[in-house]
Amino acid sequence: MTDENEGAHGANDLGSWLTSMGAPESITDLMPSEITGVDLAPLIAMLGGVGVRSGVRNVGDSEQLADSIKWLPLDRS
Amino acid sequence: MWNRAPDVSPNLRIDCGVERRINSRTSPKFVSGFFETLVAPFGFSLPTQGLLGSLNLTQGVYDLISEHKRLQFASVTQLARAVSDLDSLKIALLQMDSEEFAIWCGLGKNNSRLGLLTLIREIDQALVRVREARVKVDFEEYRPGPKALVNSMTQLALTGVACEAKQVKKAWPQSGRKPLTPKWKSRIGSVSVCEGVGTLIEMSPMEYTFKVKWKGAARTRIDVGVLRNHLVLDLGGVRRFLELPAACSRMESIKARVSIDSIEIDFMVNEKEWPRS
Repeated sequence: MTDENEGAHGANDLGSWLTSMGAPESITDLMPSEITGVDLAPLIAMLGGVGVRSGVRNVGDSEQLADSIKWLPLDRS
Repeated sequence: MWNRAPDVSPNLRIDCGVERRINSRTSPKFVSGFFETLVAPFGFSLPTQGLLGSLNLTQGVYDLISEHKRLQFASVTQLARAVSDLDSLKIALLQMDSEEFAIWCGLGKNNSRLGLLTLIREIDQALVRVREARVKVDFEEYRPGPKALVNSMTQLALTGVACEAKQVKKAWPQSGRKPLTPKWKSRIGSVSVCEGVGTLIEMSPMEYTFKVKWKGAARTRIDVGVLRNHLVLDLGGVRRFLELPAACSRMESIKARVSIDSIEIDFMVNEKEWPRS
C-alpha cells in the first residue's frame, strides 16, 4: 500500500473513508447506501500502486496537487 | 449595485438576510450525479481536492442548481460563498474532463463522461441564472455593520451577481440601525459587478498583459492566482474564475497588479513551449 492510501487506514467502507479524508459527513446522505457501504479492501487491492489520495499526481519522486492554484506576487497601486 | 443593465431577468428572486425556513439537505439529482460521477469510475476518488476540499455543499449550492423560482439566504456572504462554491465546482469538473484526468479517472470507459458534461452544462446554466437574478436584501434577521456590508457586497459583486444599491440603502433604515452615512452610501453605490471579461495586450514580443476591468478593485484585499487556463480572483475565500485566452497556456504568469479599476496579470512567453522563428 502506498502512502497515498494512508487515508484508508482505519476506514472499512467508502463512506468512512470519504469523511476521514475531510469530506463533510453529509456526503453520506447524498450517496446511495450501497455505495457508501462499499468495502475498501478489494478496491485498494484492485488499484494496486495507483495513488488514490485526492488530487495528487505522482511526478517522479515528488508529488503535486494537480489542481493547486499558483498565487502571484501582487503590486497594489 | 451595481451598474447592472435593467434587462435583469425576473426568473429568479433571491432574498438575503432571511433565515432559511427549510434546512435543505435534499440534493438535486445533479449533485447526486456529481458524486456518482466521482465515485463510479475509480471506485472512490476525489481528484480535485484543492478546489473542492473546503466547499460546504449543503449551504446553498443545492439551492442554486435547483429550479426554484425564489431562494432565501441568511446573508449576502452566504450567497456569495455559494456562488463561489458553484464556480469552483464547475472548474473542478472541467479539470476532470481534461485529458489527463479523463485517463486517470478512467472516464470514457462508460457513460461517466456524458454525465460529467451534463453536470457541467447544468452548473453553467445555474450560474447564468443566478447572475441574472433579482437580489433583495433585508436586515431583519442579520444586521451587519456598514463595513461588513460593503465587504460582503463586494464579494457578491466579484461572483458576478448584481444587487440594486438603491434597494440596499432603502432596506437599511428599516432595520432600526443608525442611518448609513454618506460615506457608506457612496461606498455601496461604487461597488460594481465584475463582468469577467478580460483582454490580452501585447506589451512586447515576449511580454503580454491580461487586463480585467473591475471598478474599485484597488479597495479590496484581493488575491490573484492562475489555475491552468483560468485566472483566479479570491476575496476572503470567495472566488471567481475567469477563462484566460488560449495563448496564456503557453506563457508563464509572473505577477499581478491591482489598480483602481482593473487587475492586470503579466505573462512571459515560454519559448520552450512556444518557439518563435
